[in-house]
Amino acid sequence: MTGQGGGPDVHALAGAYALHAIDDDGELRRFERHLARCAECSQEVRGLAETAARLGQAAAVEPSPALRDRIMAEIGQVRQLPPLVAPSPRSALSGSPARPWRGLLAGWLRWRPRLAAAIAATAVAAAVVLGVVTVRTQTGLDQLRAADREVTAVLAAPDARSTTVPAGAAGGTVVVSRSQGKMVFLASGLAALPDSSTYQLWQIGPRGARSAGLFRQDGTGYISPVVAATADGATKVGVTVEPAGGSEQPTTQPLLLLNLPTA
Amino acid sequence: MRPEDESPPEGRPHAGPPGLDELLSRVARGDRGAFEQVYALVSAPVYGVVLRVVRDRAQSEEVTQEALVEVWRAAARYDRERGSAMAWVMTIAHRRAIDRVRSAQAGADRESRAARMDVHRPFDEVAESVAARLEQERLRRCLTGLTDLQRESVTFAYYGGYSYREVAELLKVPLATVKTRMRDGLIRLRDCLGVER
Repeated sequence: MTGQGGGPDVHALAGAYALHAIDDDGELRRFERHLARCAECSQEVRGLAETAARLGQAAAVEPSPALRDRIMAEIGQVRQLPPLVAPSPRSALSGSPARPWRGLLAGWLRWRPRLAAAIAATAVAAAVVLGVVTVRTQTGLDQLRAADREVTAVLAAPDARSTTVPAGAAGGTVVVSRSQGKMVFLASGLAALPDSSTYQLWQIGPRGARSAGLFRQDGTGYISPVVAATADGATKVGVTVEPAGGSEQPTTQPLLLLNLPTA
Repeated sequence: MRPEDESPPEGRPHAGPPGLDELLSRVARGDRGAFEQVYALVSAPVYGVVLRVVRDRAQSEEVTQEALVEVWRAAARYDRERGSAMAWVMTIAHRRAIDRVRSAQAGADRESRAARMDVHRPFDEVAESVAARLEQERLRRCLTGLTDLQRESVTFAYYGGYSYREVAELLKVPLATVKTRMRDGLIRLRDCLGVER
């Protein structure tokens, strides 16, 4: 194994995974963690799982008619699971008001260790800022709460998937929940900008770039996460520097580009 | 570029019977009539794959029942973005079958199952419907295109319910080789079948 980082050996497990042929729980979890951050791998696994299902379909055999009756009788007594949805804002905010999504983020990140490392700095910065704001202004806190509820909902979505560009000069993590139809972008390592300009987030697809919003920056240089509805067909997100107020279309070269996770 | 943007290869079979997606969303709302239609579409593939893995008919019916009740219970959790409805159902069934044999069967028992398997003739039941026969024929042809080791790795794992470690042991080849053959064997099969990705 090449360990947490992945590498060719981890990729080789895609076939065994699709065939349900991994019987070691630790290895299975490691592979699933790898899948969560490797869009290409989850795409491959999907195709291989469809293929495995075809092997199953070719083995079709009619069961006895009595089985149908037994199953129809049993479902009458089985309560159905509700659809997966994000927790309600109230439950998400039931903790201390100053840390609405910190705990959730921490829990979520336990399963995505590399992501944790990549955005730890952002999360800590956010926590500090949230603490400061609590005592600063009630209005600011309300605004943050509304934004945090949105961040929380996306991070808490069971289908949340992420892509990270490790922080170098500029890095970031995009978390997408298809069920929520939303994405959260957490920037890291972006330098503070003068008031005359702003960082702008774009979703980029075959039909070009579409603004996903501006990054808010506070007096401490902390840059808030951006939450946006996922645009149809978008495959990448990018960040550019634009004049204050933002632009209709990007006017500068992107500082970073990330592929959106596909599943 | 997303796969939907590409024109489909000719003669590509659909990923599952038409309407299974839609039926599942009705099942998710508690529609028993829709579940009866789902049952009609999936019970033979589900029972078939369970039977391949579990072998015993009575136990296979039990596992089939568990799997289909799970389909009823979890229908609201099916997400079409993650794959076809048929693949979702078959995944539930195959996992249940594997759980049953992994929890119940000792090594000796499993070896005797291995001895009964003929990987060159992977279907020992004659399909009853024309569609299933066509599917078998197509799959048989595609399996012929694999190397022996690819075919054995894939079919021992899927139809035999063996882990890749067990397959390596059975075939007396290194673990890394089995992992690789499972992957490249499935990839070749996927491309031959024209599976939607």
